[in-house]
Amino acid sequence: MLDVILHSFIWRAIIAIAIAAAVSSTVGTFAVLRGFSTLSAAITHSSFAGASMAIICGVNPLLGALALSLGFSGLTAYASSANERKADVMVGMIFGFSTALAVFFLSMAGSYASAAWSFIVGDVLGVSWSDLLTLLTVSIISVGSTCLFYKEFKFITFDPEAAEAMGLRVSAYHYLMTTLVALFSVVAVKVVGVILATVLLIAPAAAAYEFSHNLEGMILLSLAISMVSGFFGFFLSLAVNLAPSPLIGIAVSAAYLLALVASPKRRRCGDLARHRVVKGA
Amino acid sequence: MRPTIIVEDLSVAYGDKLALEDVSFKMLEPGFLSVVGPNGSGKTTLLKALLGIIKPIAGYVEVLGYKVPTERYKLRKHVGYVPQRERVDPSKPVLVKDVVLMGRIALRGWGHPLLEADYRAAMDALKAVQMEDFWDEPYAHLSGGQQQRVLIARALAVNPQLLLLDEPLSGVDAVTQEVILRALKAKADEGVLLIMVVHDLNPVVELSNYVMLLNRRVVAFGKVWEVLSEQLLSDAFNRRVSIAKTDGKLIISGFDHHA
Repeated sequence: MLDVILHSFIWRAIIAIAIAAAVSSTVGTFAVLRGFSTLSAAITHSSFAGASMAIICGVNPLLGALALSLGFSGLTAYASSANERKADVMVGMIFGFSTALAVFFLSMAGSYASAAWSFIVGDVLGVSWSDLLTLLTVSIISVGSTCLFYKEFKFITFDPEAAEAMGLRVSAYHYLMTTLVALFSVVAVKVVGVILATVLLIAPAAAAYEFSHNLEGMILLSLAISMVSGFFGFFLSLAVNLAPSPLIGIAVSAAYLLALVASPKRRRCGDLARHRVVKGA
Repeated sequence: MRPTIIVEDLSVAYGDKLALEDVSFKMLEPGFLSVVGPNGSGKTTLLKALLGIIKPIAGYVEVLGYKVPTERYKLRKHVGYVPQRERVDPSKPVLVKDVVLMGRIALRGWGHPLLEADYRAAMDALKAVQMEDFWDEPYAHLSGGQQQRVLIARALAVNPQLLLLDEPLSGVDAVTQEVILRALKAKADEGVLLIMVVHDLNPVVELSNYVMLLNRRVVAFGKVWEVLSEQLLSDAFNRRVSIAKTDGKLIISGFDHHA
């Protein structure tokens, strides 16, 4: 295995996983706390449609993924700022429409179809230096924006009504957050593919939530969980000679399930409920 | 800055349902206004219209000299707002200090870090509601009354000229009520304009300078002694409301369970 690790494509894969983990911990934390899980899945599917479209147009697929996911994230942000029912309908529509678009472009892809299919399950071993540069640029924008607007994001995540009342432009920050989810989806489709991108975004942050009482702690723990489970899945795939993306996805999901079982918050809720029953009796 | 509120013929609708109709009132000097009315009478809507969060279908609103909603972002440095506690999800992972410092975020603007003065203002606000010992505690670990006090501290941390509070006494015990009212009275004494939505006038009747009885329209607005009549209260609540005097204190009974 050691001689395998010495190859440059392995190092590119390691860097890509680290980038995805960094973006997922910052963007994913706010996505989980703001209830963006389904919205993230819809946006990720639209990035797949964009990548497929770019492939048949002969453009860099990551740019295609970026264009379509940004467009659809804007649409969902607009719909969800109107009302919850509209947002729910819009998310459902984007799911179906972007999948239909992807299949449509795939059917036109001909000899390029295999390149497009790689976005479904990801191709972390096939990440090129130019892909890495794109991923790095996207992640710097994404993590940088989160740092720049961190305190505003925190306020509107905790109490959007008071944030609006006290002068924050909540709808603008809402658009920005969905844009960051779109940026993440571009990073994630290359690393783990469209199917597992949402898991990579949501699971580490959701696992970290179970052990965190402050936002900074949640982000750091989420980063640790996504790094450890991401690398664990990747190196396991090398050891057993299987595709890395599914094993990364399984490792991240397993981390979430373990967190649920060990959650002190869940135990605290259980203790409170028991305390109330005893008190009531 | 003029410490005034001018509302003329304000009407607000949700879809085709009118929430407020031709509401007019003026407060031309600092004071403590309590707004009471039955469920669905438009009390919260009135606060949101004053903040410019919702767009009226008709009318004119001017708050502290700024036209609302067009100039509402200019208001932000001068307004503290306390929403109903039930509308804030306590399970979010934030500490008490995070919540109170949120009151300083709009003052600083994006890209500007919070300064030592912001931390001092946040601590002073917590002291005002006797919660300074909880600075590093998770918000989720607090009782309902303590969470309410933290939300009030967040509004106080703005050092506002106008404080808008939506049922801050709802679901809190008598001791917490006393702490909250003492902190609010201190602000009113400093010349801050306070507008508080309450479902029970009894705890605030002695603190209030003005009372508004609201039931989609303004049933009555004025100084406390002008408004506190059984007839007007009964008209506002569409049920019999009585006023008695016990040991020199006014006791009003007959409000809805949750007005």
